[in-house]
Amino acid sequence: MTMHKFWVVLAAAVLAAGAHAEDLPTFRVTIKDGAISPTRFEAPAGKRFKIEITNAGKSPAEFESIQLRKEKVLGPGVTSFVVVNATSPGEYVYFDDFHPQARGTVVVK
Amino acid sequence: MDQVLFIVWRESVEALLVVGILYAWLKASPAAGRRGVRYLWGGVAAGLALSGLLALGILGISQFLSDDGQEYFQAGMALVAAALIVQMVYWMKKHGRTLKRELESGMSERVQQQNWWGLLVLVMIAVGREGSETVVFLYGTVAGADHSRMLGYAGAGLAGLLLAFATFWLLQLGGKIFNWRRFFQFTEILLLLLAGALLVSGLERLVSIGALPGLVDPLWDSSGLLDDSAGIGKLLADFAGYRSHPALLVLGLWLAYWIAAVGVLRRVGRKA
Repeated sequence: MTMHKFWVVLAAAVLAAGAHAEDLPTFRVTIKDGAISPTRFEAPAGKRFKIEITNAGKSPAEFESIQLRKEKVLGPGVTSFVVVNATSPGEYVYFDDFHPQARGTVVVK
Repeated sequence: MDQVLFIVWRESVEALLVVGILYAWLKASPAAGRRGVRYLWGGVAAGLALSGLLALGILGISQFLSDDGQEYFQAGMALVAAALIVQMVYWMKKHGRTLKRELESGMSERVQQQNWWGLLVLVMIAVGREGSETVVFLYGTVAGADHSRMLGYAGAGLAGLLLAFATFWLLQLGGKIFNWRRFFQFTEILLLLLAGALLVSGLERLVSIGALPGLVDPLWDSSGLLDDSAGIGKLLADFAGYRSHPALLVLGLWLAYWIAAVGVLRRVGRKA
């Protein structure tokens, strides 16, 4: 493969990956000063999905799931997302590391 | 409120362990060790600067960027820190209580110099990694609080810092009260556990973005026995790398790490 061809393939791959990220099943989680909602939602097993997190509170939050291997620090008013890799069926806990009493469960099936 | 206090302390424990143990050790060494103290404080300063930069990144621009780059960066930091901790423990063990033998055995100034830089980088990462979150947390907490509560928050933050310093001081005291050999054995285990936790966290980030295969993922679910998201389980997750849903690859490498670490350090221990 020539260098030029390589870049074309790479660009195509990046675009494909980008397009792919767009149509992932997406779930919204809102954190607000120590309250997290929803506290339970279902996600598909064996495929990637996206969790879009909004910090609607006045204090910073850290969306964390040790079991899904994701953490994201969010300043007040910030929205961000994590992409969860294909996961086996089961129940996975997520919580706000800055307000540990706020917990929820993703049911993957 | 008490939350602020606890979070400041919790986020600083990792850095405190690394800095506190190295400091106690360097202080107990002769002149050469004192030179190392300069690098130690240099690392702390660099780590604080890194915290500020990372915090700006978290608060500012990178909110809607793809987060793979961030994951690689975080994973890289964790893995480098783990490797440096192991190297430090090895070095400390090899030279026992003093660095004198090192000078007698003709170890060149240059090798010494490299070690000091390694020490500086380790301290910088230890302080910077968790420090950035503390900065974000404090900034957000203080920015979001109304003025009447401001004083309380400032007090809580300060108390958290004091608690951190007390922890540091306890470590120094431990080095003085207990006989040195015992203190070192204890802190060595703490540092190796911490390096194991960093190894797990770095590897998991790579697995979670698909850069490494999990092989069998998860291998089991032990959250019924010990939940890794709260209480004792969370503590073990943060400081030893416990996971209730481990991936085979991560678990395997964690075991390999312990076998290698214990094997190498045993050999060094026999020579010393």
